[in-house]
Amino acid sequence: MIVKTLLAALVAGLIAGVFMTAAQELRVVPLILHAEEYEGKEPGAEPPAGATEGQQQHSSLQGSSLIGEILSAISPITPAYAHEGEHEEGGIMFGMSRFSGTLLANLVAGAGFGLLLAGASLVFNHPITLRNGALWGACGWLAVHLLPAIGLPPELPGFPAADLHDRQIWWIATIVLSVAGLYLIVLRGEIAAKIIGLVLIAAPHVYGAPQPSDISSPVPAVLGAEFAVAALATTLAFWIVLGVISGYLNDRFLKPA
Amino acid sequence: MATTTVSSVPLSINDRITAGILALLIGGFLVFGAGLANSAVLHDTAHDVRHSYGFPCH
Repeated sequence: MIVKTLLAALVAGLIAGVFMTAAQELRVVPLILHAEEYEGKEPGAEPPAGATEGQQQHSSLQGSSLIGEILSAISPITPAYAHEGEHEEGGIMFGMSRFSGTLLANLVAGAGFGLLLAGASLVFNHPITLRNGALWGACGWLAVHLLPAIGLPPELPGFPAADLHDRQIWWIATIVLSVAGLYLIVLRGEIAAKIIGLVLIAAPHVYGAPQPSDISSPVPAVLGAEFAVAALATTLAFWIVLGVISGYLNDRFLKPA
Repeated sequence: MATTTVSSVPLSINDRITAGILALLIGGFLVFGAGLANSAVLHDTAHDVRHSYGFPCH
């Protein structure tokens, strides 16, 4: 029974991961590729040719992404991939294409988030069903994406950022506190629990996320805004798909007869 | 524990907590590997995913 529960979560995560890959390729990855054209340049430097006029920006975005996708699908390693000077070594695992790397990482992350969602539901003793699956997913998105994004919005390559380790610690702490806070607000009836939940959710933001000292960036702000919305929208879709599929599988295969 | 019924029964409290913690541990490990692990190869493979999910990256 334990294995069945975990398998259902795993399968839901893998399906959501495939879905997420498609969603990312449509909107998010083109923005990342576009931002990488600016990455490493000095702030205020000349933008790459073809991306100067506001009117052209969107068409060039589409064009470059198409070419980028084709290139990345063909070549084992995309040159713009490793951020120059940051890594001694690197490259994509097993010499896969950039797209396969993204797909693999989405499958792993999807399975991971699926298991985390199932684990939370088991520990809190509130089963995920087809009826409440979307709500479970939405809460997962709140805890893992929207609430941490208040302090650390999704960044494009080339964005200024504080020390990586500090940000990861803050990010994880915010998720843990947000999960606890959401549990107290959503699943507990007492008024006191709801108030404590709000305090838990607010605490990391009152403390403050690690911020870079210099916020100038070579990447255009418009790209950053488009990317932040695209990233949050695709992850919301991912979590709702994950929650609904988890609920469906639970109803179908785990429900007591 | 030796009773095996054909229709699946709801998890007992112990089983539920065990399964829950197991799921959290494995899930956390997978998400850590895809999103946070400080390895150049893992980073490059999962690069676009890390950015898309808003994981702290670089």
